[in-house]
Amino acid sequence: MGIMQTDRTLPANRLIFEVRRDAALRARFRDDLDGLMRDYGLSEIEQRALREIDLQTLSDLGVHPYFLPQVSRLFKGAGYNHNDSEAAQLYAQKMLKGK
Amino acid sequence: MAEIVSVIALAHAPGATGWLDKAPQHEQDAIIAGYGRMAARLSATKPDLIVGVANDHLLNFNVENIPDWCVGIADRWHGPAEWFRDWVNVPSYEVAGNRELGRTIVRECGKRGINLAFSEKLEFDDNWSVPLHFLTPGHQIPLVPIHMNCVVPPMPAPARCAEFGRVLAGVIQAWPSKMRVAIMATGGLSHDPGGQKYFDVDEKFDRWFLDLLGSGDDARVLREVTIDKMIGAGDGGTVELLAWLVAMGAAHAVRPALAAETMFYVPSVPLRCGMGGVEWAVTA
Repeated sequence: MGIMQTDRTLPANRLIFEVRRDAALRARFRDDLDGLMRDYGLSEIEQRALREIDLQTLSDLGVHPYFLPQVSRLFKGAGYNHNDSEAAQLYAQKMLKGK
Repeated sequence: MAEIVSVIALAHAPGATGWLDKAPQHEQDAIIAGYGRMAARLSATKPDLIVGVANDHLLNFNVENIPDWCVGIADRWHGPAEWFRDWVNVPSYEVAGNRELGRTIVRECGKRGINLAFSEKLEFDDNWSVPLHFLTPGHQIPLVPIHMNCVVPPMPAPARCAEFGRVLAGVIQAWPSKMRVAIMATGGLSHDPGGQKYFDVDEKFDRWFLDLLGSGDDARVLREVTIDKMIGAGDGGTVELLAWLVAMGAAHAVRPALAAETMFYVPSVPLRCGMGGVEWAVTA
């Protein structure tokens, strides 16, 4: 999958876009992800994929590639994002089978 | 009339400020020296103002409603955006804008067939925070930021980007002002956030691209640098080089067929990006 396969209309794209821009939404992302996902109209399969940080399924559903490492940072922290950081390693594990 | 005194393009990858210490020493040295060299060249042209062109990174414009280009017309800008502060790892900064030039670009490009969005509010991430940190660390040179769509298909085609650059340069040169203006594109080179090549750099593509810009042959550049080729070198990031084609169009409006000089290139896997920059020495 890649940028040409993005589903621009996928509710998860709107949720991720807005969470990065709004501290209150980030608090809800942390404390009430299920409620937040329902409010944004994510399908059951989107909800499960985001809850389980299943980046490959999110990608297959049409989440924009640019958001995928950002999802890993939303869960694991954005600072000092080197290749061995938790967020980068999560991405590697989920998208590249641990490469 | 305003004068275009410098046209540059350079990488803005966040690893340069966020985790540079994880790169081997020779890469760190070459990246710092490269940005330093570009800062010296820029400073030598004594710009009063920078007009920047860079990928929006889906920060201000979501996939549902994204303009090809959006000109920031505010008097002042602030960065980095809150959630990106830890990631980019630069101190919070303010930089002046230039409302008069911003509005002029929107109005006059419109008359010349380029429809530009404009905004009072644009959040900045690595797109400006990293290059400004290295090139103008005091943030003393005002910036007119132009955010563009490099990653949500359909992106503006390479020829359209160069055309925008030509028109933009003409509008700046016709602006009744004594200002000395630098044009700065940021983004690239090869990188792939969100793709299979996230931990790779396509050095072969990057060197091919830099050599092409070094030919000064814009017809050839526009024929050979296709969006498909850029996607092949890193789907989610390499297409940011469209901003460099805007810069090329602007440079060639000032001096046709001028070759871009590579100022530095470091294929840095620890930074997950081909790090480099070029200058079109339009006043040399």
